[in-house]
Amino acid sequence: MHPATHPTASASDGRTYRTLLPRRRLLRGLLAAVVALPLVGAAAACGDDAASDGKTKISIFWWGGDARAQLTEQALDLYTQKNPDVVFEKVWQANQGYFDKLATLTAGGNPPDIFQIDDNFLAEYAARNATLDLAPYQDSGALDTSKFPPSLLQYGVVDGKLAGVAAGENTQGLVYNKTLLTKNGLPEPTTGMSWEEHIAWAEQVSEKTGVPGTQDPSADYKALWVWLRQQGKDLYAGTELGFTVEDVTRWFELWKGARDRGATPTPDVIHEGNATDITKQLVVTGKSATSWVWVNQMPELKKNTSDELGVIAYPGDPSGQWARASMYWSVFRGSKNADIAVDVINFLANDPDAVKLLGTDRGLPSNLDLRRVISDDTTDEAMKQSIAVETELAKTFGEAPQVPIKGHSKVRAELTKAAENAQYGRATPAEAAAQFVEACKAAIAS
Amino acid sequence: MVAGTVAPPGATRPQRPRSRSWLRLVVLLAIVAVVLYPLFWMIGTSVKSQEEIVNNIGLLPRDFTPGNYLDGWTNFDVSFARFFLNSALVSLLTVVGNAVSCLLAAYAFARLRFRLRGLWFAVMIGTLLLPGHVLIVPQYILFRTLGLVGGEWPYLPLLIPQFLATEAFFVFLMVQFMRGIPRELDEAARIDGANAFGIFRHVILPLSRPALVTTAIFSFIWTWNDFFRQLVFLSDLSDYTVPVALTLFIDSTSQSAVGPMFAMAVLSLLPVFGFFVAFQRMLVEGINTSGLKG
Amino acid sequence: MALTTAPDPTRRGTGSVRPDANRRGTGRIRHGEGLAGYVFLSPWLIGLMGITALPMLLSLYLSFTDYDILTPLSEVEWVGLANYERMFTGDPSWWHSVRVTLSFALIAVPLKLAAALGVALLLNRAWRGVGLFRGLFYLPSLLGGSVALAIVWVNMFNREGAFNSFLALFGIQGKPWVNDPDWALETLMVLAIWQFGAPMVIFLAGLKQVPTELYEAASVDGAGRFRQFVNVTLPMLSPVIFFNLVLETINGFQGFTAAFVLSNGTGGPVDSTLMYTLNLYITGFTDLEMGYASAMAWVFLIAIAIITVVFFSTGRFWVHYSDGEDR
Repeated sequence: MHPATHPTASASDGRTYRTLLPRRRLLRGLLAAVVALPLVGAAAACGDDAASDGKTKISIFWWGGDARAQLTEQALDLYTQKNPDVVFEKVWQANQGYFDKLATLTAGGNPPDIFQIDDNFLAEYAARNATLDLAPYQDSGALDTSKFPPSLLQYGVVDGKLAGVAAGENTQGLVYNKTLLTKNGLPEPTTGMSWEEHIAWAEQVSEKTGVPGTQDPSADYKALWVWLRQQGKDLYAGTELGFTVEDVTRWFELWKGARDRGATPTPDVIHEGNATDITKQLVVTGKSATSWVWVNQMPELKKNTSDELGVIAYPGDPSGQWARASMYWSVFRGSKNADIAVDVINFLANDPDAVKLLGTDRGLPSNLDLRRVISDDTTDEAMKQSIAVETELAKTFGEAPQVPIKGHSKVRAELTKAAENAQYGRATPAEAAAQFVEACKAAIAS
Repeated sequence: MVAGTVAPPGATRPQRPRSRSWLRLVVLLAIVAVVLYPLFWMIGTSVKSQEEIVNNIGLLPRDFTPGNYLDGWTNFDVSFARFFLNSALVSLLTVVGNAVSCLLAAYAFARLRFRLRGLWFAVMIGTLLLPGHVLIVPQYILFRTLGLVGGEWPYLPLLIPQFLATEAFFVFLMVQFMRGIPRELDEAARIDGANAFGIFRHVILPLSRPALVTTAIFSFIWTWNDFFRQLVFLSDLSDYTVPVALTLFIDSTSQSAVGPMFAMAVLSLLPVFGFFVAFQRMLVEGINTSGLKG
Repeated sequence: MALTTAPDPTRRGTGSVRPDANRRGTGRIRHGEGLAGYVFLSPWLIGLMGITALPMLLSLYLSFTDYDILTPLSEVEWVGLANYERMFTGDPSWWHSVRVTLSFALIAVPLKLAAALGVALLLNRAWRGVGLFRGLFYLPSLLGGSVALAIVWVNMFNREGAFNSFLALFGIQGKPWVNDPDWALETLMVLAIWQFGAPMVIFLAGLKQVPTELYEAASVDGAGRFRQFVNVTLPMLSPVIFFNLVLETINGFQGFTAAFVLSNGTGGPVDSTLMYTLNLYITGFTDLEMGYASAMAWVFLIAIAIITVVFFSTGRFWVHYSDGEDR
């Protein structure tokens, strides 16, 4: 029978509550029966992991473009070559819809053995016990992380458990339009400039070139995060926020000042650049002289402009930045073939041939020895530059912060909303900051 | 203006002064130009280079790059032709499923009397009202329980519902159309000895062509464009359909093959456009019921 | 719920003309027709029981839980009415999305229907090339919600977009429409109206079903074109107008794709395009609060059901059916 015909649901006003409550048990019993059915079936349907020819089938799911797909497939084929008993069910798609599908597969009792994940979602999955703790494998030697930078490894730990292994390393990068600056005889920005110096430089660029000097990154959590760390604060501290309303107010005021001085584009253009898409970054659309990105996005950014681009650290003390796992490999906790899955991850991180195949597509290789080999051997200019820049930045990296906590994606969305409220002049920096912090507290409370 | 356009459908071609025909044509062309400008822009963009797509928002490319079409077609391990075939298969089977199953249900609702009809009709409308996003996860769980997910033929979870009239939209659409068919026709057939099946076969089915054509058009186009369900239920590259494949060109954080994506998006319009133009022909002739009335 | 009181489809419009037709209509089930009814209905019933109902019931159940998709169903916590309480008392963005959706639907739906009916009337007559024109007007709807559409629309309506270039011809300084929180929703409405193909085709099909002899009769009676339109076309088309009105209203309130595509799935700038279903999607899939999202969905269902019931009950005054029930 259709639920809509259930008499208890007929009152749409406040009385609904009262009529529903006494019947809660009945409703619950009815629906529990509905819930039970899929569970029985899901349990029954789980026996399909072994391929018919006695080989073990490992399912693996990642997001990315087709270049990444090809490299990853080659690396996995290499694993099968070396371990003929293991075959892969490879599923990949672009990031649009990736996490929707991953969650749906998990709900349906059909999650992949290995999946790619990033720091926006790692804690969400780990906190709900969807990821396998990889620390025991580390101890047993099945997973070799001895060549990883310690802070990169640390950035995969959630609640004391190793929830994900970095599939690559990247860090924040401020990309600027070299051609534009050279043409106008302007100095290039340098790592270590203070935020005020950066804004003053940007104002000068705006005046000379007519192109706004810098994208206003007040809506960008990764810029705020670096800035907070430079102030001795953090984005999160345990299960709390690592900052106060006053901190955010100062951050918003910093950029209000920059906007008032004409160092940034107009709010509608800032909004365009707030999208994370590569093709919308203002430095390639020519609407600003700088963009706030991740260093490993440089090669793809270059494909979208004929101008020459340069990259440095975000302003302020560069030790505010850290070796960030651009994405992780995680193993689903219920995987029947966890041992093999871990071995595959170990292979992708530490096998010289596999790492050579994968290159810097997911960020710099996590294994430092192999990173050096790749950087010496590669003939790919973009890859070479990307490694060189990040190796340079890595010299000043600070300690890794804790992985963003459950509720982080909401925090990011709220930051964008609050910052844009300030940008469009619909709220003062103080109002926007108060609104943001309040929303964050609600988001991470559960 | 409005009154001037409601001449009897299916009447012989209007004998009008030429100037008015021309006027109408000009008006239509003007509207079309405005309505279609975004599509012209899309075609223009499909032959721009990557750098121009980002920087030149004009209609025409400075640097004509037809190579996007070849690049897009051969971009993946699986040729784009495969995605077209998959989409065509799913869409055509959906058309058949919806047309048959929804027509049967609609006939019951519109013409037959049976117990609880009002209730079932309300339930049918009710199924239209729940936002689909909360149903995806339960549906996935259900289909997996039924063993339909990731089987030999991955399209079953997409197609089985279509053969069971789960698209209430089309049931309701056909009910509304059938209710426009004069009941005297049923009565006449009944006097001739027809039962409910006979009336369906000889009266309702032939007169339901506009509704069937409309259902076919929408079934085809909406399935062709559907993304979320196809994304969730299909996992192998060679099973992917066009909408899923189109998203593969752009990974907003790491890849930006916008030109090839636009090229394939333009191509993917052609089958649906062709399907539409072919089927709308069947809407051209009016239905003349006088012959049937006898 | 209230839907059970929705009028029997065959009864609509009977009361005003001949009250006893009503009683006769439902009271008498012809011999064998009851069985035939269920035979014809069986595919739908199987689909309802096997495919549609379970997920709906499950989502209803989940609306009383803290379901987060990742936790197995057997471990979800029953939270009673907490989700519903939060919606009405503790979630400003829910109220915001209600307001956004209402203003979207109230403006976009009537305009879209008017555009669809107007163009359908223009394209109703048989003349050479009419099929091509129908196709061309349907083209925008073919784009659906593709990635390409997002890029196209933003480039039509941002600061340097085509629309502003057009305005500049008249010396008007445009806005950055799609990136302006005061105008982004309007841009969304334009997109919805632009894709008027579906109701247009339904209108066209409906116009085709109007029996030609009615026009002939009216013509013999000396009715002009306008009189024919009012006395023949409108009443004969009313079931289809009714259908389009109901469905486009439902679609308008459910409007997800355009908002999702245009705002990159965020509802921005500053939540100005945070439609109800987009908010629901973000809550369910990004914030992983599927229990709460399910509650939102059921509140939505009840609200739309009420609107639908209102439509059905007003329908009896203006929708004319030819199936003998109202003659």
